[in-house]
Formats: sequence, structure tokens, C-alpha cells
Amino acid sequence: MFRYSLRRMVLLLVTLWLLTLLIFALNYWYPGDPLTNMTGIKFSDTLAYQQALVARGFDGSLLSQYFSFMAHLLQGDWGASMVTEQPVFAEIKPLLGATLELGLLAMLLAIVLGIPLGVYAAIQQRGKLDRLIMGLSLSAYSIPVFWLAQLFILLFAVKLGWSPISGQIDPLYAIDINTGSILIDIWLSDSDYRIAAFTDALNHLWVPVIVLSIMPLTMLIRIMRNAVLDVLQQNFIKAARARGLSDSTIMFRHTLPNAMQPVVRQLGLQFSVLMTNIIITEVIFNWPGLGSWLVKSIYERDFPVIQGGLLVLASIILLVNVMVDLVHAWRYPHIRKEIDAK
Amino acid sequence: MLNKMMVAGSALFIVACGPIDEASDVHHDGLVYCSEGNPESFNPQLGTSGTTVDATSAQLYDRLLDYDAKLQQFVPALARGWQAFDKGTRYRFDLRENVQFHTTDWFTPSRSFNAKDVIFSFERWLDKKHPYHDVNGGRYPFFRSSGLINLIERVERVDDYTVDFHLKRSDSSFLANLATDFAVILSEQYATQLLHQKTPEQIDRFPVGTGPFEFELFRKDFIIRYHAHEDYWREQPEIKRLVYVITPNANKRMLKLLTGECDVIPYPLINELSKLDHDAEIKVGSSVSPNISFWAFNTQQPPFDNVLVRQALAHAINRPAIIQTIYNGNARLATGMLPETSWAYSPVQQTYPYDPAKARALLEQAGYPNGFSMSIWAMPVQRAYNPNAHRMAELMQSDLAQVGVQVNIVSYEWNTFRQRLVAGEHDSVLIGWVADNADPDNFFRPILSCAAARSGNNRALWCNPEFDQLLVDAIAESDLDQRKHLYQFVEDMVMQHAPLVPIANSLRFQAHRADIEGVELPPYGGINFRYARRVNDVPL
Repeated sequence: MFRYSLRRMVLLLVTLWLLTLLIFALNYWYPGDPLTNMTGIKFSDTLAYQQALVARGFDGSLLSQYFSFMAHLLQGDWGASMVTEQPVFAEIKPLLGATLELGLLAMLLAIVLGIPLGVYAAIQQRGKLDRLIMGLSLSAYSIPVFWLAQLFILLFAVKLGWSPISGQIDPLYAIDINTGSILIDIWLSDSDYRIAAFTDALNHLWVPVIVLSIMPLTMLIRIMRNAVLDVLQQNFIKAARARGLSDSTIMFRHTLPNAMQPVVRQLGLQFSVLMTNIIITEVIFNWPGLGSWLVKSIYERDFPVIQGGLLVLASIILLVNVMVDLVHAWRYPHIRKEIDAK
Repeated sequence: MLNKMMVAGSALFIVACGPIDEASDVHHDGLVYCSEGNPESFNPQLGTSGTTVDATSAQLYDRLLDYDAKLQQFVPALARGWQAFDKGTRYRFDLRENVQFHTTDWFTPSRSFNAKDVIFSFERWLDKKHPYHDVNGGRYPFFRSSGLINLIERVERVDDYTVDFHLKRSDSSFLANLATDFAVILSEQYATQLLHQKTPEQIDRFPVGTGPFEFELFRKDFIIRYHAHEDYWREQPEIKRLVYVITPNANKRMLKLLTGECDVIPYPLINELSKLDHDAEIKVGSSVSPNISFWAFNTQQPPFDNVLVRQALAHAINRPAIIQTIYNGNARLATGMLPETSWAYSPVQQTYPYDPAKARALLEQAGYPNGFSMSIWAMPVQRAYNPNAHRMAELMQSDLAQVGVQVNIVSYEWNTFRQRLVAGEHDSVLIGWVADNADPDNFFRPILSCAAARSGNNRALWCNPEFDQLLVDAIAESDLDQRKHLYQFVEDMVMQHAPLVPIANSLRFQAHRADIEGVELPPYGGINFRYARRVNDVPL
């Protein structure tokens, strides 16, 4: 396990390092002045520009520029937005909170609903409900997120009036932004209308969460169903049956733990898909997260922000994938052996 | 954290569909305005963008004087009164006492408004050596284009509550320019404090003014938050919390108005307007914008150097049909250059009625019995004064074919289009103008004077010294009735010489929920929430 973990960690570090190389290179590939792209300091601001020139090693070689770029990156000096002139790093925290809130809730919903539904479909294999679940999940899987989001807004917000169209919370509730996750921020705030604000925030939250969870949910149902069916055909299940173990014991003690293995492996991949969809969802629902921030910055050619957004999103996806791999390998030792054997 | 997430997740499905009753109290004295974009800064002196003006001028700041569009006259604001001396080259303003600036987290004023603030607010852009002149760009486009930067010689403090403005020459548009949304008064004390802290650029980001609302927070692309200024010198606004939710998508703005997430929205979609008007929950307000759409002829080129030809073409197009088709009726037929809302406007009969027979007769008289062929340049972009220039050109094409004039329609990318116009490559062009201030001069000098012909802004390339003299006389006249009279001559002259054909003054729209009152669109300048209030306590 130690060797495996070490190898994964080294791989993670190498990938992150390559990512910084790419982002460093982007500064030179973008149109305009590399130093401005990197720091957001404009040439017209002569004094600050000259100081940045020295601080960023632009009087030296490309290598020294990269070293100083890394030093600034690690110190949390990610430059300032060219539009708002606010430091990029400080802006990221609340945005990240909002994105993670949406993403984790959607993932949670997908797991909570997807696994039982998949198991149920497997037990009912080729029954009416199995066909219904599989049919629905296939058609839901085929719907692109941007269309589903518009559809849900039209149905739930405009036609039925069950939820607002967009935003995190009714803007008249003045909740101080702290973590960026609206539910936690309300929890932390000391305003008199905490309960009302909390209800209102949930009311804003459920439509985007459902929209986001559809894709991983349908995938989880299908993976879970296939995994359970696979396990049920194994000899040890037949043996257990022959010994007269009850159906529920077979399911909970023997089938499920084994069937979870491919599901856990898929979670990392599903999270990556979710993070792609979250960008679109945030834009449509005006969610103040990393995704909508990144998209706006692309429209505005705000290079320091584009870099910051890319770096954070890519790092999150990488980190989550490595974590899932580690958990997977820790939980299912034979996988480790397979990999080590290669 | 994970625990809270779990709680939240399970709570999500229990309460999600429940009604929200506790919420109504925050809505009672709060108002949500879904604006169309981010303000560029929080100081209208720095730009000319309508979005910035809407977000700042009337909410955060006050001016020395205001323009009352209903009474069509200037009314006192931070100045209690004013007088002109020395043949209109010196104006003395008598300032109001006990006007408080905003007290915020970043600034606590220790004195009330006085002459220092007026001097600071004007010298910032007048004096190139002023420590604040170059802060945040140092461009003051309104003051430059209106000529105010060259008109004011200096601003002098007489005593704490009296200031003198020394002008280089008399100019009757001076007061009109001071009453615009751009001539706001900033706090000198705040500026000095920021200078000590070495953060002068904060002055336009964390604004301090004397206006009815105080700035609280701005999150780009999401929200601007204001609350009522408790020591406001005029009547307190009824709205205590004012929130701008930035919603650039026009469809989403409309839907959010329908669901009640927005109380007021600007620029509703024009083709959905009729639908909205029937909805009992939504009210649509409009005002005639100080803009004009016109068809200008290149008077330097034959056959358009012949006034008869120009008049004939003016008679040949069916303008009422254009208003119906292009503006869906949401515009007024322009009878002259000045819109109805201008004080110098006088009602006239419809000028150049649609009359193809007369047009043909005039063409014959001018020596073109069989017509000719010409080009109409249609601008490639949408503007408030002309939502679809290309379609308008097509309508005119068929009208003109009736009198034997063959038209081909020309368009280029917007920047190229304007460069080629300046070079005078066109036969005629469909374009327009948006006025910056209430002064009638703003509708003539930038569009039709000889100076404008030289700079290329005069799309007709029409230069008539007599006309220029008339404009100079009109601006030097300080008696309003006399001026109004002079502008009638000016209008008549445009009509006779027809260097251009005025087409329409478009209307500007805004829609709001039925329970909101007092949010009216002023014909000049930005939106104002000072009088806004919620009539009934209707929970969303």
C-alpha cells in the first residue's frame, strides 16, 4: 500500500508540475504582454510595472521567470484581475466554496439515489421496473445539461413557481460571504432571519443540484446494476445460496461489498464529468462559483483569472481522482497487486 | 462540514417546496433591480456608460442642481440658488448647509458638505495637475465632449458656502451640463484621507457621496448592495435596502420579473412588450429618449448637392410605416431634430408628409425625371434609436423605387463603417444621435455644424455659415423664450435645406412589478430609486 500510495502521490505531483508549466507557457501564448497576462499589472502603471518586472524575474532568463512564477504561485500571489484589479487568489475562496457546495450535494444525491436504484434494477432483472429504470436512465443520460437546466427552469420556476430562476439566495437577505457555501454562511451568520434565509437558500439550491446530479446518477445506476449482476453469477454466491443463507444476508454481506468495487473506481471519473457540467450549470443558474467566474473571464480576456480558474479546477479534478484511486486501492487490495504485478 | 452537508442534503427535499412566509418582512422595504451589466466604476465622472450612471448617479450622489423634466426647468439641489454675473461668464452658487456625507466602514465624515467638496469634485477633472486627475484612468469623456473642460476657467471658493465658477465665455448650456448625471459632488475629506492612506484609487470603488443610498458591497457579475442613507438631506427614501442583481441576459431578466425575483428591469425585450402590458402583475413605463434616428445625405456629392433632390427623397419615404414596422410603434415620428421632451421643442405639423407624386414632381424639377440610382448605408449594429437599420433601408428601398430611384444597400463592420463615413464615401446613411444633456444645442452643433463636418461627425458633410451663426446666437442668448424662438429658426433651416431627414425619436422602456411605485424613467439620465416604494405588502 505504501509503495502504491507513494507512486500515486509522485504521479500527482508530476501532473501538477506539468500543469504549472502549461499555465506558465499560456502567459506567453496569450496575446499581449506576458508580464501583464501573469500579474494583471498594466504597462501604463509604470511604477508597479517596473517593480513587477524585477520581482517576476523578467530581467533574467526564461528559467528564472519560471522559478519566480512558481515562487509567487506557492505564496498565493496569483496576480490581480485585469478587470476588477482585485487579487485573484483572494477571490477564489468564496467561489470555490460555492462550487463545492453545488458539486458535493449533487454527487451525494447521485450516490444516495443511484446505488439503491441500481441494486433494485439488478434484483428485478428484466422485470418491468428494471426496464423502466434503465429506460429512464438511458434517456436522462442523453439529455445535455444546458438543455435540461433550461427545461427545469421553465417547468419548476416559470410554470409551477416552485423555485426561483437563478441565484444562491434572495438578494434582499444580506448574508456575509465567508466560505462561499451559502448554507454554511447562513449557519455562521448572526442575522435574525437565519431560518427564513436558510429555507430560501434551499429553495434556490434544489433545481441546480438535481440538474447536476442527473448525469452521474444515471451512470451510477447502470454501473451498479451491472456490477451486482456480475457478482450474483460468481461461484461464491452460488455456494452461499447452496448453504441456505438468506437472500438479504447474501445481498448485504456478500454481493454489495464486492459490487461496490467498480462503482468506487468510477466515482473519480464521474466527478470529472460533474465538474465539466458544473461550469455550464453555474452559468445558467447565475451561481457565484468557479465555473461561471472562469467563463466570464474568458469572455473578458482576463488572463490572470483564466489561469487561476484553470489551475484550481484542474487541481481539484486531479486531487479527487487520486484520492478515489487511493481509497479504492486501500479498500480492495487485489487491485494493488494487479497494478504492482504489471 | 460533511455533517452540515448531510443535514442540508436531507433537509433539501423536505422543505424545498414549502411556501416562504417569514420572508415577507425583508421584501417590504427592499427592492431588487435587475440591471443589464456591471458598472465600470462607482463614479459617473469617469465614463459615459448608461449602466454606470444607472448604478451610481441618482443613488449615491447629488449634483449642485437638478433638471426637473416635468417643469422643464432647473431646480436647486446641493446649491440652494445661483446667479449669473459678468454677462454670464461668472456663476455664483449658494450652497446648502448641513448636508451629510455617507458614513461607511471605510470613511466617517467629521464635517458636512461645503465649498471644498465642490472645488475638489470639479478640479479633479479640470486641473491636469490635480493629485486625483490621473487616478483610475484620468479620462473624463463627458466633460471633454460637452466642452465643459474648456469652458470652465476656474472654480473659486468665496466662503464655506459660496463658490464662483469663472467661465471663459458665456454659454447657456452651462447649467444644463451641471445638472447632468455626470457632474456629481464627491467628498474632499474622503479623498484627502485616501491620499494619506496611499490608496487614492479606492475613491471610485468604495464611493462616498451625499445621495439617498449608501454603497455596501459589489460582487462583479452578481450583485450591488445599497442601503438607505439615514441622514439624507432630502426626504428619506422609503426603500431601505436596494439591491442590483446583474442579469445581462434579456430573456432571463424578463422571466425573473414574471416570477417576482426582480422588481424592476431595464430594457425589456421589445417584441415581448405587448405581452407584458396585459399582465396585471407587470407595468411597463416608457419615456421618449433624447435621441434621434435620421437619414443623412452626402451633400458634397451630386445629385445630393441639389436641395430639390433632397426634398424629393424626403417626401418619397413613408415614415409612419417605418415607425410601425421597425419600432413596433415604440417610437415617435420625429418632426424635427429636437425630441418632444426638450424645452425648446415646439409642436409642428408633420414635416415632409409621405407624398410620392410630389416627390416625382420635385425630381423632375431638379432635372431627374427618370430618377437615378444611389446607395443607402445601413449601420451594422443595433442602437436605441434604430433597432434594425438594414430592415429600415429595405423598406425605404421599395418606397424609393416608386419614384424611380434605385437603391442598393451597403453595410460594413461597425468600425470600418464609421471610418468610411468620415471619409465621405457614402451617398446617404441611416444613423442617429443620443444627446448627453437637456440643452437643445446638443442636437445641432455635434451633428450639423461646419466644425462637425470637418471632424467627420456631420454625416451630411453639410456646412452652412449662416446656420453656424444662428447656433452661436442661440447659445449666447440667456433668455429662455428668446432661445426657444431662435431654435425654431434653426429647425426651420434644417427643414428647408434638408441635409438630413429626421425619422424617429425612440422610446426607452422599463418594466416593473405592479406593487412598485415611483420608479420613473427620466428622459435625461439614469434611473432613480429615491421615490420608489412598495404599495402593498405582497409576499413574493
